[in-house]
Amino acid sequence: MTHTDFEQLAAGFVLGALEPDDESAFQRHLEGCSTCEASVRELEAVVGKLAYSATPVEPPPSLRASIRREVAATARPRGARATGAAAAREMPRHRRRWTTTVVGRLAVAASVIVLLALGFWNLSLRDQNDRYQQRIAAFEQAGRLLNDPAAQAIRLEGSAGKATALVSSPQDKGFLVVEDLPALRAGRVYEVWGIPKEASLNQAVPAGVFRPSRGVALVPFELAITPTMSFGVTEEPGPEGSRSPTSNPILKGSPTTRA
Amino acid sequence: MRGARAPRALQDGQLVALVADKDAGALEALYDRYGKVAYSLARRIVADETLAQDVVQEVFLSIWRDAGRFDAARGTVSTYLLAMTHHRAVDVVRREENLRRRRTSDEALEFEPDRKPGVEDDVEAAERRDQVRAALAELPVAQREALALAYFGGYTQREVASLVGVPLGTVKTRMAAGMRKLKDALREPGRDEEDHPWSRR
Repeated sequence: MTHTDFEQLAAGFVLGALEPDDESAFQRHLEGCSTCEASVRELEAVVGKLAYSATPVEPPPSLRASIRREVAATARPRGARATGAAAAREMPRHRRRWTTTVVGRLAVAASVIVLLALGFWNLSLRDQNDRYQQRIAAFEQAGRLLNDPAAQAIRLEGSAGKATALVSSPQDKGFLVVEDLPALRAGRVYEVWGIPKEASLNQAVPAGVFRPSRGVALVPFELAITPTMSFGVTEEPGPEGSRSPTSNPILKGSPTTRA
Repeated sequence: MRGARAPRALQDGQLVALVADKDAGALEALYDRYGKVAYSLARRIVADETLAQDVVQEVFLSIWRDAGRFDAARGTVSTYLLAMTHHRAVDVVRREENLRRRRTSDEALEFEPDRKPGVEDDVEAAERRDQVRAALAELPVAQREALALAYFGGYTQREVASLVGVPLGTVKTRMAAGMRKLKDALREPGRDEEDHPWSRR
């Protein structure tokens, strides 16, 4: 077969319409031909669009319900926001597993306390009084709101400053306590991102925007927290921020670099 | 500070990442976006409501189990999901010979140019449909027919050749030319859904 023959087979290939012998020949060719590979990708997108030519029919509500039911048993419970009896039933087991696999209630609680104490110590050495007050208030507020022995503290680091994410997956709650971030130009904001495990940066999920006051901010997360989630901070156009990061994070941290 | 973002404010790729982390709400948000078009496609191919529901359920459960298999560098989430729907529906129709016989007897093998106005609630889907149908309308009849038999009928190229009564080589040429024209007509400059200059995996 010539290359032109293969090019011609690409259409039948993406439509799933090739005869078995053509199919295997094309597949072998595809492995070594970047032209055909690119062509297949383009044609796959066309095939995706063809779906829209079918006359729209509303699926029965039972289809959604059935998918929901199938998924419930393996879904991650979402704290207070969990809906449905199945999710509610799943909750206690999940909690147990979570708390025992993490370092342990006491250890984590202790690490939060140590973190807070270090913060205070640092502050008392260097900081002006009002700045000091703001930080204490931010940590206290976060600590009070979490009030959860299974909470995790995740250190975010970068050249621009530092931040700590206090998160509780069982409670589906979290806060970012920001210290020492530089002030922003007008019209710009910092945006926090949750990065699900093994996701790429462009799949990061927006978690909130903020402008620090005297370098300090307390940002409640606007997303469901998972135990394996990483976090990052980027600078974005304000006041809304972006739907997806537009630059590399200036601060980032993941659960493995727990404070 | 703005309010919490509902999953539906997120982009497809972000939803898939959350699905990989077993977020059922994110899967439902994907279903909100693509459940209807996937069901419409499956129903068109298998011509049976129950089988179409099975196909769509399998597709969403497969994404649930294996969201990590989606590769953003290869294409968009919608392409991935609808290609999977097509693939599975065609498998069903090939398995069930009787479905096929029912299909050939009715005239369901053409792409449908009609659209009932006023029943459309999803503006974006309607826009895409108009676009695709306009592109299809531009194709020579023989090319459109070959594509429809393969895409909605689930026929292989050899089967299309014998249904239409032309040599296999002609069918290959028609499908290739038809797809090439569709690709050119449907090109959307600046509307690539997840185009990030700096972070291709």
